[in-house]
Amino acid sequence: MIIMARTKGYPEALEKKLRDQRYYREDSNPDFTKNVKAISRTIPHMCYQCGTCTGSCPSAPRSSYRIRHFMRRAVLGLENEALTDPDLWLCTTCYSCSDRCPRDIIPTDVIMAMRNLAFKRDIVPVNFLKTVQAIYSSGHGVPNNDVNRAAREKLGLTRDPPTTHMYPEYIKGIQKILDHYKLKANADRIVKEREG
Amino acid sequence: MAEKKKATTKKTESKKEDTKKVAPVKQEVKKQAAAPAAKPKAAAASAAAPAKATVGSTTKQGDARIGVFICHCGTNIAGSMDIEAVQAYAKTLPNVAYVDNYKYMCSMPGQSVINKAVKENKLTGVVVAACSPRLHEPTFRTATKESGLNPFRFEMANIREQNSWVHMHDREGSTDKAKDAVRIAVAKAALLQDLFPKSVPVEKAAMVVGAGVAGMQAALDLAAAGIKTYLIESDMSIGGRMSQLDKTFPTLDCSQCILTPKMVDVGRSDKIELMTWSEVHEVEGYIGNFDVTIRKKARGVMTPKEAEAKGIVGGGCNGCGDCEAVCPVVKPNEFEIGMKPRKAIYINHPQVVPLIYTIDFNSCVKCGLCVTACGPEKRAIDLEMKDEFVKVKVGTAILATGYDIFPIEKKEEWGYKRFENVITSLEFERLICASGPTGGHLVRPSDGQTPKRVAFVLCAGSRDNTGTGKPYCSRFCCMYSLKHAHQIIEKIPGCVPYIFYMDIRSFGKMYEEFYYRIQDEGAKFIRGRVANILEDPKTKNLHVMTDDTLLNRPVDMEVDMVVLAAAIQPKEDTNRTRKLFGVSCSMDGWLLEAHPKLNPCGTTTAGVFLAGVCQGPKDIPDTVASAEGAASAASIPIHMGEVELEPYFASCIEEKCAGCGMCVNLCPYSALSLVEKDGRTVMQVTEAKCKGCGTCGGFCPGGAIWMNHFATPQIVAQIDAFLLGGEQ
Repeated sequence: MIIMARTKGYPEALEKKLRDQRYYREDSNPDFTKNVKAISRTIPHMCYQCGTCTGSCPSAPRSSYRIRHFMRRAVLGLENEALTDPDLWLCTTCYSCSDRCPRDIIPTDVIMAMRNLAFKRDIVPVNFLKTVQAIYSSGHGVPNNDVNRAAREKLGLTRDPPTTHMYPEYIKGIQKILDHYKLKANADRIVKEREG
Repeated sequence: MAEKKKATTKKTESKKEDTKKVAPVKQEVKKQAAAPAAKPKAAAASAAAPAKATVGSTTKQGDARIGVFICHCGTNIAGSMDIEAVQAYAKTLPNVAYVDNYKYMCSMPGQSVINKAVKENKLTGVVVAACSPRLHEPTFRTATKESGLNPFRFEMANIREQNSWVHMHDREGSTDKAKDAVRIAVAKAALLQDLFPKSVPVEKAAMVVGAGVAGMQAALDLAAAGIKTYLIESDMSIGGRMSQLDKTFPTLDCSQCILTPKMVDVGRSDKIELMTWSEVHEVEGYIGNFDVTIRKKARGVMTPKEAEAKGIVGGGCNGCGDCEAVCPVVKPNEFEIGMKPRKAIYINHPQVVPLIYTIDFNSCVKCGLCVTACGPEKRAIDLEMKDEFVKVKVGTAILATGYDIFPIEKKEEWGYKRFENVITSLEFERLICASGPTGGHLVRPSDGQTPKRVAFVLCAGSRDNTGTGKPYCSRFCCMYSLKHAHQIIEKIPGCVPYIFYMDIRSFGKMYEEFYYRIQDEGAKFIRGRVANILEDPKTKNLHVMTDDTLLNRPVDMEVDMVVLAAAIQPKEDTNRTRKLFGVSCSMDGWLLEAHPKLNPCGTTTAGVFLAGVCQGPKDIPDTVASAEGAASAASIPIHMGEVELEPYFASCIEEKCAGCGMCVNLCPYSALSLVEKDGRTVMQVTEAKCKGCGTCGGFCPGGAIWMNHFATPQIVAQIDAFLLGGEQ
């Protein structure tokens, strides 16, 4: 209500701009930088913000995803900002940035580390969880379908690839691995919470 | 804390064990320790005068009176250890007659503490526990000398670089370590001998390797100081990289215009012997007396001087170019980075010094047309010419070998050598230069059109930790790219330069002002390192992809031409050159200076100096300054006339020497030889050549080699002092 009074009903975009966007010392969590470094096994604290990663990124021109922005947050330990930004899930893991980074950092793995940390806080888009469910039931993130089967046949391949599709008896093994990490249980729980 | 305690107990345990193990060795050591006392007598008796000078009197161990002086170095040392405890401990050591400490031992009052103590306590040796001997050994040696002792009766215990600075947060541990260091130094000091440095005469000539702007400046300075200077250049003409440049930042002087007078001076000076198309083949000797063999590569063309020596009066090359006109072989000109043709007989460019043609024998077909064109009077061309070897003797040498451009095609994402319109900055220099392949018109290599949008990619291969590029900043790319931007704004109306940068490093005098000026002229700066470049196959235009980091938006900019400010790297044959002169290189491949701040022109080899970019990236002002510094340093020994050598050389204990000669082959400096003496074959040391490395002393099976100042008994005493914890 106070905000409304201040901006006298201006559009929401201006409201967002007027918000205090400075960062304060307490926003920064040095352990976040350390954790990201440990999980990613690369050197995110060495980023000098040249922009090669965003410049290489096929996702950047098509979305609001800015990998350099996440690298900056890794350097500064801006944990909440990084983990709650929905852009975190827009990386296609093509590794172009990792090929070209002049500081020899692997930005893709930094993103993967942040996703792991986010998942620990149940921050994860539902489509990622549905992928988990698909792997659990079929052994594939993107299971085979009739269009693919026809295409494979045309190319002289078997209708199903020699994976769990051809040998469904091995799905059990995959399920055992996912159960060990409680991945399926967590996915089911969060999907249920979100979708009821 | 608990861990630390564990470590200490372990240490004492192992010490005890060591004591047991070492005990039998200790006796042997004592036997050996008797040797030095006997040795000088024998040496003196066997009369050779230099032997007298090298080995002085030895104090018997019991008579030694050592003074220990502990430096606080402000809080550098005192801040991380208990000086009082180290002092109290030092008092308990054998042979220690006096202990003191002072805030800054290297200061004048600190040195007078030493002076006074030596005189009042009749000390025979001085130990200073302070910084590294690399820093203050000369200072305290002088102080020891001034107090009346031989300067080599001084020993330094390093309790700063190797102690307080690395154990800053372990007060107890660093105090213990300092006690160890002092005990070890005292053990050696008790056995030190008087030593007398040798002087050797210095040849009144110098050599400069490389005749770019650094080498030329150094040679001109040496010549102006009255020193005969050999200037060796592997290319056919002098001027180096600077002669390839068009204009120079920030003054926009024409590079050739300011360089040509220097080139002419070098050619004209009667003190400079210019040897182009030549390489250093072999170097022997030491400061003051380097014997250098120079390979004069077969040039195929005689200078007037050479022709006259062969009896062809009035002959030799006069640079008329008649030969070039008839030569049927066409090759790319390396000076123009392959953008202009040359013949098999050629000069780099019209203003070359010396103006003598050269035959590229790798492409010459020996048709003889040039010989006919040259005519019977000049008779300058000799198609059968062979490499010649010339020997010269010099006192000092300066290396000014310069740099190469990093092969930027290795960074594949920028498409150099794949896309025609991606060029390097050096190619840009040649294209924009009036004497270049296009007469100063900047054109696209793909279609000869004038570009309207030019992108400059900074840090191309520099500041790169991937292992492909170079981790260092090449230091002058920012500035020349600003200059390039200015040149296209000036020459091509409506053309916009886009500078893709990470940081603009405009650090020199008037450099930041130059940056201001170029921005004002209309250059567009985009802060983002270029991620990759794509080519439009139809138009041959280029798409520069990056992130405008200040807008936080990805950029895809279509331009007509891209100029890569490629990194620089040491010359290809740097490794060969540095091995010839015994100079090291740093991690990045550039030649290593003696001290990065306080001795940037010197090297670890006495008498060899560095000038210009071979030591690390430099712009022209820094290169010239470094060359003048190197010339000044290289002229000092020559003007002094003689140099003092550290008396650390090996000497032979003749009665123990079996004359086996194994040491002679081991010596890396060819300082040893076998001679007949009193009917026996014994080894003899050429002291001026010996560097005191100890290879022979460590190897000699009979223990017949005495390493002055690092003698076996002295070193064994140090090891004992460490292992036995002070018992002698």
